[in-house]
Amino acid sequence: MTEANYPQLRITPTRFLNPETTEDLLDKIFAVGGVRRMVLNGPNLPVTVPYGPARGAPNPHSYRRTIKVCGEDFELRVHVGDILLELEDESVIPAIKEACDAVFADKFPYGFGKGRFMRSNFTLSDYAKYGVVEDDRILGMSDPKSKQRPTIIQGTK
Amino acid sequence: MAYTPQYGPGTSRVAEVRRNQMNPNVKLQKMRSVTDEDLVLIMGHHAPGAAYGSAHPPLAEQGEPDCPIRKLVAPTEGAKAGDRVRYIQFADSMLNAPCQPYQRSYLEMYRYRGIDPGTLSGRQIIECRERDLEQYARELIESELFDPATVGIRGATVHGHSLRLAENGMMFDAVQRCILDDDGIVKYVKDQVGNPLDRKVAVGKPMDAAWLKENTPMFHSLVGTALRDDTEYVAYVQRIHALRTKYGFMPKED
Repeated sequence: MTEANYPQLRITPTRFLNPETTEDLLDKIFAVGGVRRMVLNGPNLPVTVPYGPARGAPNPHSYRRTIKVCGEDFELRVHVGDILLELEDESVIPAIKEACDAVFADKFPYGFGKGRFMRSNFTLSDYAKYGVVEDDRILGMSDPKSKQRPTIIQGTK
Repeated sequence: MAYTPQYGPGTSRVAEVRRNQMNPNVKLQKMRSVTDEDLVLIMGHHAPGAAYGSAHPPLAEQGEPDCPIRKLVAPTEGAKAGDRVRYIQFADSMLNAPCQPYQRSYLEMYRYRGIDPGTLSGRQIIECRERDLEQYARELIESELFDPATVGIRGATVHGHSLRLAENGMMFDAVQRCILDDDGIVKYVKDQVGNPLDRKVAVGKPMDAAWLKENTPMFHSLVGTALRDDTEYVAYVQRIHALRTKYGFMPKED
């Protein structure tokens, strides 16, 4: 079970991020280290047109592409709006703030908040919906039943 | 004494923009040009150069019944020709777009004939005969009511009006119908429902933030003019609210 006392951060830029900016930011954050879990939140960029007469037609979108984070391929499926982080401990927060400053300094302002943004504990509703979840790190990040698995960034450990 | 419509209350610039857009005697400023072919491609109702589809024979041929209303109301060109009814739909960003769905319906009812506007929170659809539609759509796109970055021509999958803008200032679009090209001009690469176009259709450069702030009919306390700054507007809204609340009991102004 994930301990509930890991610090969590939310980075909220005032604009949605391009894949290049996201790549740059994630590289800088992971270079700092100490990140346990991360979620990229934002509106979905569907593979096919979801509604209307063109429903089902391919939907080429320049923001939906594969980015490289610490050497790992990561398929971006959303237009990144928020970045949620769970950290090993609070000591890395200033370094992460510096990484954000470096990326956003010449672009636009951003919000940087500490709080609880991802659930860490298994609830009764989780059990009713998903049954027994083998790897409970996925809790509060995504649907455990989804076929799309999270990307594991190996890092330097 | 002849009645002079006031269109709306308020002393702020936003209120003035609202009044100007609604007033059919104020000519909308032309900001850009689109060709007939471009317009047809973006809307995607028929192939460029193809004949208009018809819903019924032209009025002159089908023989109209003897009706006093028909004598009073002159048909529009589209109705006269028996055109099908088609649509164009706009999504307006809440971040100072130069028009807004409710405002669109108001101004279209004042300015155009033979239309059926549909108003929703983030999008507004206008339906009318195809021939008339092209004429109205041209004005809506070429005039100050349109900004290529913060207004989208979207038939379906319209989500994005209340979201943050992209880094380049474009409103979010899950189907990415238009792109900000390298030359700084916004180009449609898909029609309004998301079918890819054979060529890019240019709709002009995005307007800058200062122009948008000056020409938006939206109150916005963070990026524009706050409603509370326009005391006349607030007083009017409060008066309407009070009268509507009392309505049926004994509406009476103090």
